[in-house]
Amino acid sequence: MSFQALGVSALVVYLGALFVVAEISRRARRDLSPSDHFLAGRQLGVFVLFLTLYATAYSGNSLLGYPGEAYRRGFSWIMAVGFMTSIIVCFHLLVPKLRPLATRWGFVSPGDWVRHRFADDPGLRKLVMGVALLMALALANFLFAQLKAMGELAEEVTGGLVPYELGVIGLAAMVLFYETRGGMRAVAWTDTVQGLLMLFGLMALLSWLLVGAGGMGTITREIFELRPDAVLVPDGDEVRNWISTILLLGLASVVYPQAIQRVYAAKHGRTLKRAFSLMTFMPLTTTLVVILIGLAAIPRLGELTGAEADRVMPLLLGEWAAAGTPSAVAAVMVFIGALAAIMSTADSVLLSLGSVVAEDIVGRDRRDPGTTRLGKRVAAGILVAMVLLAMDRSITLWRLIELKMELLVQCVPAFMLAIHWRGLRAAPTFWGLVVGTIIAVTAVFVGSPRIYGFHTGVLSLGVNLLIAVGGSLAVARSTGGTDLRVGADR
Amino acid sequence: MRIETPSFTPRLYYADLMSRNSLLRRRARAVLLGLVVLLYVVSVPWYREAGATPSIVFGLPDWVAVALGCYVGVAILNSLAWLLTDLQDHDEEAP
Repeated sequence: MSFQALGVSALVVYLGALFVVAEISRRARRDLSPSDHFLAGRQLGVFVLFLTLYATAYSGNSLLGYPGEAYRRGFSWIMAVGFMTSIIVCFHLLVPKLRPLATRWGFVSPGDWVRHRFADDPGLRKLVMGVALLMALALANFLFAQLKAMGELAEEVTGGLVPYELGVIGLAAMVLFYETRGGMRAVAWTDTVQGLLMLFGLMALLSWLLVGAGGMGTITREIFELRPDAVLVPDGDEVRNWISTILLLGLASVVYPQAIQRVYAAKHGRTLKRAFSLMTFMPLTTTLVVILIGLAAIPRLGELTGAEADRVMPLLLGEWAAAGTPSAVAAVMVFIGALAAIMSTADSVLLSLGSVVAEDIVGRDRRDPGTTRLGKRVAAGILVAMVLLAMDRSITLWRLIELKMELLVQCVPAFMLAIHWRGLRAAPTFWGLVVGTIIAVTAVFVGSPRIYGFHTGVLSLGVNLLIAVGGSLAVARSTGGTDLRVGADR
Repeated sequence: MRIETPSFTPRLYYADLMSRNSLLRRRARAVLLGLVVLLYVVSVPWYREAGATPSIVFGLPDWVAVALGCYVGVAILNSLAWLLTDLQDHDEEAP
């Protein structure tokens, strides 16, 4: 059986499985409320919650972009294991206080927390809108990147039988179908299947590479002969970038709307903490594996330059598939696993986008079933717009995608600081967010995404925090005192 | 009549201690998170001479092996810290 025939068969089986899951989850729904659609009725158990967190956190970029980055930068990209672990560490700053409030007050969207926390503050509406717009923009960028990756991968796995454009439209339609039919329940269940596929596929590919090369020690020595810089101790600029990336990714990923909504969706508090206690090991089984795959490609694939390095994973899979039928089957599984990772990120992003726009931007009530309908329509509309954009393969919004984290990290004060410090006020938090965003966006567009090795997003977060804290203290002084106690359990 | 007494094991003692003493749990969690921060500081090779040739440890350059060892430590300590986190919903009964 040819690789093309195997790829098409696997794709058909995979899409069929998604169709079945969508129908089962539709039958499992209890009512038409936003809580049931966007949060699966707050009934996600440890296993499903863990795998949906896993599949959502590891996107197409993690599986296709990280091996390319390891290939380009060498061993210093081990920092990716550090920043992926830091996400679960940084959740300690938010989740233990947010979760009890979310269940007590029935939060559905991220903006529900902001509305609850700053309920009586002047400037609340602006802050909710500012946070929601930043989140929606970051999510739309993220969705666009996933759609492009879906099209590329569908073409690759079917040997060109499914062209890029058909791949984008067909897979986007599939995501919209199961997200609309089954909501968070369908997303979480399909994520479970997708997470398992991704995990086993990557392990198999790494084993094949290590056995073929004669072990990691041989690979490291060969890399040292070809590109000594990839092995030597990194310089100061790279070290500062390492620290900055851990801070940026750790903090920004905690305010991902889809991550916050999974915190709301867990069945119990203890379910959530068990899922996090498992999630903390996943960078070692996924990020580390894709980094080693990228490094193993250096001696194996020779000199690849620029964007060519991003094709490290498909090139390796192509070589693997040519080694015989069992290898071809395994390679197709990895392709489907990567496609699954991309689709699982896209579906979560789409679901969150619907909720953020319907509730936080349009201002619909979280208890109204009409909000669910509006959220579905919004998701469909945004998806169609992004599919149309993605049709043009020459459009690259990579700079905007790079901006995603710099934008999201500006929401940190409205969540992490607000939950620990009662003195924080809405208006200064809003102005901090505006100034921080302007600095980050300007720096990226004038071509200075990093200063002295540090991301401008991290530096502008410092300015954002100064304005939020300084402004809140000034407001408190002018109105006669502030409550500086820790904890915001209002 | 024979009176049954529960067997005393370190695991049982630890579980009992952890479930009863939330203050101790909070302190243990804080210590674990402090160690996590320390491991992050050690994981980045800021203390090494830039451009130095490393030796190979477990098939990896030594500074990479140190970073990886630190991240394995972070994963273990962070996992324990999550298990010790007091994350009970307001309507949830204590385990």
